[in-house]
Amino acid sequence: MNIFLREMKANLTSLFFWSLGMLFMIIGGMAKFATYVNSGQSITDLISQIPATLRAVLGFGDFDLTKASGFYGMLYLYLLLMTTIHAAMLGSNIIAKEERDKTTEFLMVKPMSRSRILTAKLAAGLANIALLNLVTMALSISIVGQYSTGEAITGDILILMAGMFILQVVFLFLGAGISAVSRDPKISASIATTVLLGAYLISVAVDMSSSLNALRYLTPFKYFEAAPLMATGGFDVISVMLSLGIIIVSGFATYYFYNRRDLCV
Amino acid sequence: MNIIEIRNLTKYYGKARGIVDVSFDVGAGEVFGFIGPNGAGKSTTIRTLLSLIRPTSGSAAIFGKDCITHAPEIAKDIGYLPSEVFYYDKMKVIDLLRYSASFYKKDCSKRIKELAERMDLDLKRRIDDLSFGNKKKVGIVQCLLHEPRLIILDEPTSGLDPLMQQTFFDLLREENRKGSTILLSSHVLIEVQRICSRVAIIKDGRIIRTEKMSELTENNYKKIRIETGRITDDSRFDLPGVSHLERKDALLSFFFKGNINLIMKRISEVEISNVWIEEPTLEEVFLHYYQKGEERA
Repeated sequence: MNIFLREMKANLTSLFFWSLGMLFMIIGGMAKFATYVNSGQSITDLISQIPATLRAVLGFGDFDLTKASGFYGMLYLYLLLMTTIHAAMLGSNIIAKEERDKTTEFLMVKPMSRSRILTAKLAAGLANIALLNLVTMALSISIVGQYSTGEAITGDILILMAGMFILQVVFLFLGAGISAVSRDPKISASIATTVLLGAYLISVAVDMSSSLNALRYLTPFKYFEAAPLMATGGFDVISVMLSLGIIIVSGFATYYFYNRRDLCV
Repeated sequence: MNIIEIRNLTKYYGKARGIVDVSFDVGAGEVFGFIGPNGAGKSTTIRTLLSLIRPTSGSAAIFGKDCITHAPEIAKDIGYLPSEVFYYDKMKVIDLLRYSASFYKKDCSKRIKELAERMDLDLKRRIDDLSFGNKKKVGIVQCLLHEPRLIILDEPTSGLDPLMQQTFFDLLREENRKGSTILLSSHVLIEVQRICSRVAIIKDGRIIRTEKMSELTENNYKKIRIETGRITDDSRFDLPGVSHLERKDALLSFFFKGNINLIMKRISEVEISNVWIEEPTLEEVFLHYYQKGEERA
């Protein structure tokens, strides 16, 4: 419990600034929606003329951008990117920082097994990403609600946030796993974010060219996309299974390797 | 009963040598010195004992339990002061110490206050505002606050001023009288001489010998240098017990082992402008050991 509380306290400021980031992202994004709607048909025409590939890169997809829900669906990709980067870095740092800051010789000689220390740290990580998710949810519902003229969007937002949370957990564990395996605590966070950006680029590539569709299960960013989530109101079973698979495998790797390797001192 | 039992402990970092075939025991209530030059493998041995790193082969037991498989259980009764202390920068000293205490299931607040007073440590300061020496003091309090049965110290005095070193050694003696066993590593012989009853000497990853401090100090060489006004007849210093007699201009240097009064008399017969009588460095002690080894062979 002491490690959990210590980690919560240590990450409080960071969590605050990430929340602030989400606030600006949602306010800024939805403010564009307001000008967009006011400008009428012309922008829709303009966007429809953008080649599909470029639309994919920008994340516009095939959303109905004249509706608040459609616009939010587009914005969701960016929110997803932010929260997963947060999760990957948090997962990686929460494990690696003891070695990076050379506090290993303080913490790891305490009467507590490495597994229990990992569990406390991962619990704190989960609590942090859950809080960021809840903040994003609350901000989304209240801010997007301002723009949705009569359109029911809360249900859409809830399902999107549920998908976002699963992805956050995926990247938290991926980050933790990378730190547990890596012998260099200074670069594990960079490796984690590189993996994340790689996954993102694959998802963009899949959007750009339908011939790459086979790659869609390779990247978690394809598991919980806004358009199908909002259309069906439910998750794709394979995507959920794959997410669970990644979480279990990286969770196992985290404990397995961290318990066996030499710690950097 | 032995508190620490190390058997053929070997650690390679990849291909790089850490320690090779290290074996020694530390009995209950002993103050055991572990000396060797930097890079000899002192910290590697200690970190393996603390299960921070895993041995390549061999084993070590503390309180009769394997130090890797029973690490958390053993750790309850160990206090450890690393050679370089690093803590969470943004914490205050008192918060760090309370955090440390929270891992041991006992109330340590009184003990923290006592130790901080003894070590003259301000508990309200932030860790990152502290000097190196003050961080070391935090380390000392942190190491002793749960009244451990085994105290492991890795180069404990670096960064402490002589007065604090004195206080610290007094503290250690008290802990030892109360029944704690102490393992102290150092590359400074004198430091080990001050407090230890037995020592193991390590060089290039291997234990050269383990012996009682009294035996080591019997061979207590003094390193003497004399500056003479003019060059005198050096043969008068060629006494039994003198070795490595060398002159460099006005400076005469040699090692001496034996009755110190004899050599002092000889020195007083000469007109000198300066004199240094020093403890030999660890390397010089080793040199002596190697020579002795060769003589025997």
